[in-house]
Amino acid sequence: MTFVGYLVDAVSLGALYALIAVSVGLVFGVLRQINLAQGEVMAFGAYSLWIMRALPSWLAILLCFGICVAGSLVLQVLVFRPLRGASALTTLIVTFGVSYGLEALWLVVFGPEGKPVSMLIKLNDTVVGGAIALRWITIVDIGTAAVLLIGLYVLLFRSSLGLRMRAVAEDFSIARIVGVRIDRVVTVAFVLCGASAAVVAVLETVQTPLVTTTLGLSLIVVALVGVVLGGLDHLARATAGGFIVGFVNSLLGSILPEQQLVFVTSLTFLFVVVVLVVRPAGLLAPRGAGAERV
Amino acid sequence: MIHRSWLKMGVVMTGVFGLALGMVDVSGAAPASHAANGKPIIIGAVIDETSTMKPFDQPALEAAEIWAKKVNSKGGVLGRPIEFKVYNTESQATLAKSGAEKAIAAGAQILWVTCDATFAAPAVEVGLSHHLLTISPCTSTNLMGPEKFGPAGKLAFTFGNEPSTTGAVIARLLIQKGWKTATVVTDHLLTYFVDVCGNFTADFEKLGGKIVSQLSYTTGDHTVSQVASKAASSGAAATVLCTTTTATLPTFVTSVRTLGNTKPIVGPWAIDGGFWEPSTPKISTNLWVATYASVFGDDPNPTVRSLFHQMKAEGETPLTGGFVLGPSALEGIITAIEREKGSLTGEKLATAVVHFRDVATLSGPVTFSDEYHAVVSRRERIVEITHDKGRYVESLSPGKYGLVLHT
Repeated sequence: MTFVGYLVDAVSLGALYALIAVSVGLVFGVLRQINLAQGEVMAFGAYSLWIMRALPSWLAILLCFGICVAGSLVLQVLVFRPLRGASALTTLIVTFGVSYGLEALWLVVFGPEGKPVSMLIKLNDTVVGGAIALRWITIVDIGTAAVLLIGLYVLLFRSSLGLRMRAVAEDFSIARIVGVRIDRVVTVAFVLCGASAAVVAVLETVQTPLVTTTLGLSLIVVALVGVVLGGLDHLARATAGGFIVGFVNSLLGSILPEQQLVFVTSLTFLFVVVVLVVRPAGLLAPRGAGAERV
Repeated sequence: MIHRSWLKMGVVMTGVFGLALGMVDVSGAAPASHAANGKPIIIGAVIDETSTMKPFDQPALEAAEIWAKKVNSKGGVLGRPIEFKVYNTESQATLAKSGAEKAIAAGAQILWVTCDATFAAPAVEVGLSHHLLTISPCTSTNLMGPEKFGPAGKLAFTFGNEPSTTGAVIARLLIQKGWKTATVVTDHLLTYFVDVCGNFTADFEKLGGKIVSQLSYTTGDHTVSQVASKAASSGAAATVLCTTTTATLPTFVTSVRTLGNTKPIVGPWAIDGGFWEPSTPKISTNLWVATYASVFGDDPNPTVRSLFHQMKAEGETPLTGGFVLGPSALEGIITAIEREKGSLTGEKLATAVVHFRDVATLSGPVTFSDEYHAVVSRRERIVEITHDKGRYVESLSPGKYGLVLHT
């Protein structure tokens, strides 16, 4: 495999993490709350694909979207609404607890051995073989992330709903005073998070066709690190941070010498630590920006 | 009339005999007079019934419990029935420790622990501190013993294989099949994987094979796809993969296959069982596993097959061939008790176990030594997955490069 192949793989993993990061950033932007339970919505979506494995793929994916959106809204009502006004740290801890609780629930319901999902597995086939070894799923990852992120940008900056969302993100209280229906905006944010979780669940199960209980937490923790790296209080930077962490992780895995491969995760996190020491507000934040971090 | 009476009596007698035979057949038990009626021998099983180690621990214990019933129905061990008391560790250190303490408080005279030395350690230490014989049915490293637990570890044993055995078996398989070059992929998650692949490498080269490339990843580091790409294009005749049934395993296999590499992928017991495979014939094919028994219903040993079918009928189909190690461990415990004339003292039982030389068990002859508290030189079952269907191929010994204990 050539360096070009490694770069494309890195962009693909970065794109996946960007999709997760944008969900975390969206909820933080609107509610100033950190949603670690987003990972479990993805896991729920992935398990739903296993449950619906006998259905035609298009129908199972469609239902997976419905399930993830419903799961996201249930979390909004049961966890985030009661916590409105609480500090980001409080929601971080609560959603971490929710995440662990749901992981335990998957363990009881689905067992520890994992559930195989073969849906859309043909997307793993190669488009270009040989040294580049480019797969369809890599293109789909990058294309899907690009389309969704552009779509989100259009929604936020070219629609009245986006204007209201940005108003809520700017100042929750004033937005309410000027007549923005806060609950509707929050609901839309969680619908978008649910849809994003479904996309990640589908893309992840194509590449990793065994759904295990740790799927959600293992993805969300890395994405959260990316969000903090990019800048939690700015959606585009948070998304870019998610992309960077995925990109660096994948590239290190490809280019490190064999004996050093055990250090991939350590080096990725070392990179994050160094960035935050040098630029505490985040890699992409303007110089002199506040350094408050979760 | 007389003739009629005899006829009636014949019918009645036939019915009585038939009923008696039927009862024996249904229960599979010996007459009641043979039943064990002494004080029970209590084995405290401190295992994972819900989490990470459940797929390995639970089938071994369930098979052992079936075996214990059989032993008890035939009079038990020197007239004493075997009784398991089970405590769930959920693969958590605190629960392993408290489970072992509860088991001992409940009268356990022998401790039975989870199938991984690290997960088992808190329970093992409790067992050793109470001077109990402490057995893991299927830990597949030499860490269940002095190597990990120091001098106190002389009371700890596993009926799983020492990794050199598995490494040598896989090396012999490749040479026998004519796969003279190999790419070795090691998951650094567990020492066991490193040891199996390390032993394979050494033995394969001694047997004339050539290692084309050594690759590695660590489950959870999100690099398995890149490693699979390198393995797929390595040009080796076979890929030897030392990992377990986490999500990275199907990711690796899927990636290698979809990149056009259809050559054999061979692994140890840790990747056994078809439950993790994508149900795509093109992907789940040409996979080879060195394991303890076939879980595809075709094991060559009729007793193993019968046990497998019984477990399946009870809704407890074992996921991997490690289930046979449950009865094997129990047979080992029974042999030790009998050799020590009924003593349950940990030191005495451990002395008996350490002197095992080719003791017959369901999983084959078992040998231990002061140095090796895991089984060495055991023949392993070779299972092949073709188009998503598994089948037993042959039994293979580690040969001259596997550890051979001098007796």
